[in-house]
Order: sequence, then structure tokens, then C-alpha cells
Amino acid sequence: MTSTVTESVVSTTDATAAGADTPAPYDDEVLAELLIEEISIDGMCGVY
Amino acid sequence: MTRYALHPQVGLRDEAFGALAYHYGSRRLTFLNDARLVTVVRTVADHDDVDAALAAAGVPDRRRAAYLTALQRLADAEILTCE
Repeated sequence: MTSTVTESVVSTTDATAAGADTPAPYDDEVLAELLIEEISIDGMCGVY
Repeated sequence: MTRYALHPQVGLRDEAFGALAYHYGSRRLTFLNDARLVTVVRTVADHDDVDAALAAAGVPDRRRAAYLTALQRLADAEILTCE
């Protein structure tokens, strides 16, 4: 059996709590990645 | 102007961290890790435009760009439809 789990984002950093009034441009990219996380469950039969 | 709506093949389930979206076609799970983003995803089709949906959900102006990027990624993942 093969299982595939892909995670586009793995992080525990909370960019919204950074407290910066004028966030650097890269902050938006970081926050956008923290807002969503994708997982494929294809091939995980037998796991659930 | 871009208009988003929840994809008809996607189910949303509220969770403590935000919500879990499941696409019945692609069988992909997507975690929405923010309550305001969940609100936007649920309501964006009810508003005239995405800006109104972001404002109604309480997204701060300085974070709009991040949310717009997240919405585009959700559209790329077919969690949202985009026209």
C-alpha cells in the first residue's frame, strides 16, 4: 500500500501576531500560506 | 472584476481551527486555518465583490493582500470557483 500526504504549508508561526503596522511585502505571502493547508488523501485506504 | 463562489463539489465543515474543506472530485482536503477566511469563503458569493466580502468578514485593510492571495490559491485548488 502506498500513502501520499503532501502538505503545502507546515509552520507554527502566526504572522498576524507579528504586530507590525506596516508589514513587509513577504509577510503577505507568509500569511497567505498560513491561512490554508492542503492534504491529499489519495492512496490512504486502510488508514481511515 | 474577479468573482468567487464555493465550488459545488466542495463540502465545508467547521472545526476549532477554522474549517475543513473536502473536494469530492479531487478528494483533496484543505484546512482553512482562520475564522475570517472561512467567513469569506462561505459568504463571498453573496456579496457584490470580493472587497465587500473581506470587509464584512472583518479582514483588516493591511491584510487584504494576503487574503486575496489565499483566495486565489483556493480557486487554483478548486475549492472556490472563479469567474
